[in-house]
Amino acid sequence: MKNLHGKASLIPILCLFMITHSLLGSTLFNSTFNHIHNKALNPGSLNPVVWPQQQEVQGTVTDSRGQPIPGVSIQRKGAPGGSSTDLKGYYTLGASAKDTLLFSYLGHQTVTIPVNGHSVINVQLQQVATALEAIQLNAGYYTVTDRERTGSIARMTAASIGQQPVTNPLASLQGRMPGVQITQNTGVPGGGFDIKIRGTNSLRSNANDPLIIVDGVPYATETLGYDQVSGSILPGLGFSPLNSINPADIQNIEVLKDADATAIYGSRGANGVVLITTKKGRSGKTQLMLNAYSGFGEVTHTADLLKTAQYLEMRREAFANDGISPYPANAYDVNGTWDQDRYTDWQDELLGGTAHFFNASASVSGGDAQNRFLLSSGYQRETTVFSGDYRYHKGSVHLNLTHRSPNERFLAQVTASYLTDTNNLPGNDFTSEAQRLAPNAPPVYDEEGNLNWANSTWNNPLRLLEDAYLAKTHTLIANGTLQYTLLPGLMLKTSLGYTENGVKELKTSPSTAYNPAYGVGSESSAAFHNTADQHSWILEPQLSWEQDMDAHHLEVLLGGTLQEQKREQFGQYAYGFSSNSLITNLSAASSVYILNDVDTAYKYAAAFGRVNYQYKGKYLLNLTGRRDGSSRFGSGKQWGNFGAVGAAWIFTEEAWLQNTLPFISFGKLRGSYGLTGSDQIGDYQFYETFSVTGQSYGGVTGLQPTRLYNPDFGWESNRKTELAVELGFFKDRINLSAAYYNNRSSNQLVGIPLPATTGFGSILSNLDATVENKGWELEWHSFNVQALDFKWETGINLTIPENKLVSFPGLESSTYVNQYVIGEPLNIRKVFQYTGLDSETGVYQFEDFNADGLITTPEDRQAVVRLDPDFYGGMSNTLSYKNWQLDFFVQFVKQEGFDYSFQGGRPGGTSNQPLEILDRWQEPGDQKPIQRFTSGGYDAANRAYSNVRSSTHAFADASYLRLKTVSLSFNVPERYLRQVKCRLYAQGQNLLLFTKYKGYDPENQSISSLPPLRVITTGIELTF
Amino acid sequence: MTKFHIKRLVGLHGRFLNHFKSYLLLISCIAMLSCDSLVETDIPDSQLLSEGVFEDTTTATAAQLDLYADLRDNTLLTGSSQGITYLMGLYADELDYYMSSTSDPGEFYINALVDSNQYVNLFWDGGYNVIYGANSILEGLKNSTTLSEAEASRLKGEALFTRALVHLYLVNLYGDIPYISTTAYQENSKVSRMPVSRVYEAIIRDLQDAKQLLPEEYITADRIRPNKWACAGLLARVYLYAGKWEQAGTEASAVINQKTLYSLEDNLNNVFLKESQETLWQLSSLSNGYNTLEATRFIFEEVPPPTVALTQELIGSFGAGDLRLQSWVRAVSDGTQTYYHAFKYKEKTNTVTSMEYSVVLRLAEIYLIRAEAFARMGDANGATADLNSLHDRADLPNLSVSEGDLLDNILHERRVELFTEFGHRFFDLKRFEKAQDILGAIKSGWQATDALLPIPQDEFAVNPNLGSQNPGY
Repeated sequence: MKNLHGKASLIPILCLFMITHSLLGSTLFNSTFNHIHNKALNPGSLNPVVWPQQQEVQGTVTDSRGQPIPGVSIQRKGAPGGSSTDLKGYYTLGASAKDTLLFSYLGHQTVTIPVNGHSVINVQLQQVATALEAIQLNAGYYTVTDRERTGSIARMTAASIGQQPVTNPLASLQGRMPGVQITQNTGVPGGGFDIKIRGTNSLRSNANDPLIIVDGVPYATETLGYDQVSGSILPGLGFSPLNSINPADIQNIEVLKDADATAIYGSRGANGVVLITTKKGRSGKTQLMLNAYSGFGEVTHTADLLKTAQYLEMRREAFANDGISPYPANAYDVNGTWDQDRYTDWQDELLGGTAHFFNASASVSGGDAQNRFLLSSGYQRETTVFSGDYRYHKGSVHLNLTHRSPNERFLAQVTASYLTDTNNLPGNDFTSEAQRLAPNAPPVYDEEGNLNWANSTWNNPLRLLEDAYLAKTHTLIANGTLQYTLLPGLMLKTSLGYTENGVKELKTSPSTAYNPAYGVGSESSAAFHNTADQHSWILEPQLSWEQDMDAHHLEVLLGGTLQEQKREQFGQYAYGFSSNSLITNLSAASSVYILNDVDTAYKYAAAFGRVNYQYKGKYLLNLTGRRDGSSRFGSGKQWGNFGAVGAAWIFTEEAWLQNTLPFISFGKLRGSYGLTGSDQIGDYQFYETFSVTGQSYGGVTGLQPTRLYNPDFGWESNRKTELAVELGFFKDRINLSAAYYNNRSSNQLVGIPLPATTGFGSILSNLDATVENKGWELEWHSFNVQALDFKWETGINLTIPENKLVSFPGLESSTYVNQYVIGEPLNIRKVFQYTGLDSETGVYQFEDFNADGLITTPEDRQAVVRLDPDFYGGMSNTLSYKNWQLDFFVQFVKQEGFDYSFQGGRPGGTSNQPLEILDRWQEPGDQKPIQRFTSGGYDAANRAYSNVRSSTHAFADASYLRLKTVSLSFNVPERYLRQVKCRLYAQGQNLLLFTKYKGYDPENQSISSLPPLRVITTGIELTF
Repeated sequence: MTKFHIKRLVGLHGRFLNHFKSYLLLISCIAMLSCDSLVETDIPDSQLLSEGVFEDTTTATAAQLDLYADLRDNTLLTGSSQGITYLMGLYADELDYYMSSTSDPGEFYINALVDSNQYVNLFWDGGYNVIYGANSILEGLKNSTTLSEAEASRLKGEALFTRALVHLYLVNLYGDIPYISTTAYQENSKVSRMPVSRVYEAIIRDLQDAKQLLPEEYITADRIRPNKWACAGLLARVYLYAGKWEQAGTEASAVINQKTLYSLEDNLNNVFLKESQETLWQLSSLSNGYNTLEATRFIFEEVPPPTVALTQELIGSFGAGDLRLQSWVRAVSDGTQTYYHAFKYKEKTNTVTSMEYSVVLRLAEIYLIRAEAFARMGDANGATADLNSLHDRADLPNLSVSEGDLLDNILHERRVELFTEFGHRFFDLKRFEKAQDILGAIKSGWQATDALLPIPQDEFAVNPNLGSQNPGY
């Protein structure tokens, strides 16, 4: 798989692979299966308004071999509440004689049994290949079975998250879901991830984040970090707010993609919705679970750089080419000042360390039919690959309490998580220095062990260790739900959520980071402080009604939202200390400046509703809508309406099909169309204001125009269409789904780039342009082998996305003319067309599009390079044999990226270079990929180098295939243990990478940020 | 569907209906109200509505002072490594660079600028940002109803002064540029470049207006806000650059005649102190106790120098016994090698109260302007007399009228008087059309087209009317 030549080449391979799997799977088919899709809905009775007499029902639930099944859910049909079985498969439940009980358990057929006055009901559940019926998907304001859903909802379970040694929940989703593209920005602990659901909708790069909701409470993804403090170590927006959700506390992550699923989130649903559901208490015997793992991580994919002899050859040749002799006084590397034989592998020196990982967690859960609880706690620690004692660690507590009244009509639930973390890092990432330093640069320490400045001839990279970054955050996410069943089928619910995030960040830059030749002492030491706090509450009353009548089933939901979010941020710069040991203390600074003092409020109100109608369990219609108001818009623009219609037809319910094509066990056609929006523009943007700048002049603090003023912008809108087919074959041994989506974003709300002559770089305005994201999402899931002792499951997902700027009236005369091309994706670069070397002068040549004899921007930057992936996806396999289970997951992306060779300094200059640059022009007549070396003294070559970085020559294949996760676990047989379950496991993340990409990592394609690390851990899990 | 729904509802028990109704009412409260108060927020404490800023002297003044602070800290006039003192010193023949030339400041030193150089961008972006600030003050004052006329005209004068000053630097760095006199972005995003002569006309207009509006006395004792004479001094410079010798001489004389306000400091060590009588306009330091960024930037203690040092050419050009070499230059030696740094500003670290401010306009320059104006108009006596005022102070013998080429003498005098001050040397070499001869001889990367910096690449991408890049880039 080292060559990913094109979409065309991979698809047949995948298809072949799928077919082989299915054939292999069917020959090994030897277990009993039950058909599960023939269930028709029983009409419920409508009349009983009087609550019937309750009685106790108890029993045991076993599997087909007579073994007890713990954790089986038992519910009364059409009524709230329920129970579940304990470790011995025993349950107890209050029910009336007229009730019907539903027994459901993942991977087993759901059984429906009328109580009919029985007090003991024992049930045997048959295992099935899949159980679409049993999978209850969280759709936010409601739940829906996988079978009956009309929208596009992808899901990841605790089991898959638990196989990955990650600290950020987003990391666990990489490659796992079609249409969901996640990129890791840095291998430094605490760093962020970019997530895009179904492509780039907004022209503003920072407005493509999905809405993230934890247990019903929106979780702000805007970082509280301050780039002046964290920018040099954590790229992009600093630390990820999602670090504050412990992956071990997550039960499920659902991703909502199409209009049917997202329109109920209205103005915040345009970029998709990520629903995180945390673990809840289960009834039964009190259970204690302990889990711990530890391991290590390292950089595995480094660049091949020049060795000393090659580097010096390059430098000498550069000066010879430029006709410069003798070497300039400041060319220390080559003029004899530095040792000409010395060699340091700076990548190994600066990035070659090992990061240690440790994770421990404990949880207790239990309860009875009325009260259940879960209390869990976790601790996690991660060090860095840099030299020095740096660590990221966090601790968390998670609590869930549920109470049901004995008559089951009232339910109260509280869930709360508190997490605190501390991230202690060097002030700067060493990745850039590791690649740029000359290989013959002096040793980092002198003979006395002090930082070696070599007579001011270089900037010692370890000076960066003097700078330190320290961040402490704490996060509280709490929500309470009160639910009351007024009548059978009619339920009143109110949820109240509160989240609070606080952060303290500090970056210290002591004078010891400077060359002593500057003669600076602690009076020049500086420290940046950032203190930020964000809290938000949300109130969502809801009324839901559910009714069965004959073949009709109707669900209605009405609700409202009130939300308020406040945010404060306070950045300070402290300068001049009497001693460097006091650098963290603001009161010890001779001067303290306020960098920013931000105080914002966001208010949001909405009403929403849903009507779901099903006929005979095979025709499904789902209508959703929302009216939203947001404080982010000016008067008259605050309110907007959004909505969607979704429909599905389960055609395998039709008798004619069952008769003609019996091997199709499940078939559903579904489609949806609707409108969503986006208000991700920040607060107060519509006001014309002056802001306090923090710069003082003559004792007066300055005031500055905040931005260019435009009061008239409104919502961005996104029209989404989806058509999909879901199929199950051979009693659902093989499940296939294919979805086609087409999302059109218009009324684009963008900071329109402006020339600096306007005084600012941009203005916020609605742009009458349309961006289209369309594509195919294909999924395969098969149970290849289902023997008693040996099981093998395979899942494959593939996304073929296409992003296009469909229309842009007036593009030619707009300020975007050199940024976008109609008919091309948004993520493009307009660059020079590289045409080869001038073999006489040895300088890069480019196509002169306007034939004026000059290579100029923008006239000659007409070639288009597309940077979005052509396709991406993943393949997971789960193999279990007796007590062993092996999971492995492969992620793949086909894409074009920034060629590493052209991201650093100019070949011939003072920075080290990749080996590839040796293939260069040396004398007239040479035709090579790399131009003549220059020390900077040859203008034509300087200009050509500046141009080549913005040319087709500077891009290369950045496709990759990564063995992302391997997890091997062993359940210690119970005969060796008493009343304890023990599981031992080993896990690996980012184990192998197959790519033609020459730089560090094709994922973040960065020369300045640490690539994702390879992590290997081993652990143990005990359950009492 | 709806019918089915309603029929069901109607048929249900009364208690249910009551519950349902009350609950529906609650939800519709939220839904139907659509009441804007639910989604209205107050302006945060860190921001002021623009219209309010110019109804109050304190806030209106804070807006103007912020422009000076911006020039001091962020762009063009800043003494930091992103200002013209440092970068144009490297670009011309004032400073040698001791760090890697494969860097953005290094590109200035080897005269190998590309149009993506971040400092080239910063001059341009930062400059026009200050101009926007000046224009927003001018427009805000126009609509103000509560400021007194004296306050309003003083602030208007300062804003016009600032707008002209920044355009002056931009036109000298980039050649033809747009002259921006409104905040309307629709207009400013489509501007085209004006010929240099028209830019000068606009600058002169602004300064003439400002001169009428500014008071003769300084608003604060420490000369950190321009008065009428600072404006006249800048106008003299502009006329000189524009080749209008007579007006340059007139404006310069008007300043020199303010004997009670201005006089040349006898002691060279006092010229850059914040109380200097020679100062027309200076930039206040960051806060009390702080001194200049220039001192922090230039002064070093060890050899070889960690960043920059004065060039041997500059050191060699001082006449024998020139006191300026003793007072304004400091040698640092390790016994074998000697390097020199600018020592006009002597306070590298904080002092109990600030000692030095960054002097933008001072009387010595005004004398040099008048000397050149006289010389260009053929008044050799007048020119020589003005040059000798500076020679006296530097303890140099007086020049006689016939001695050497007068203009060469003036160029030389400007070099040794105004070195490492806001790119004077570079602008002078260009005006005297000596850049090619002098820089071309000592700098291997110098080309005739380097007289102008490249316009930032990004600007062409977003403004189709900007025309073509300066030649050579």
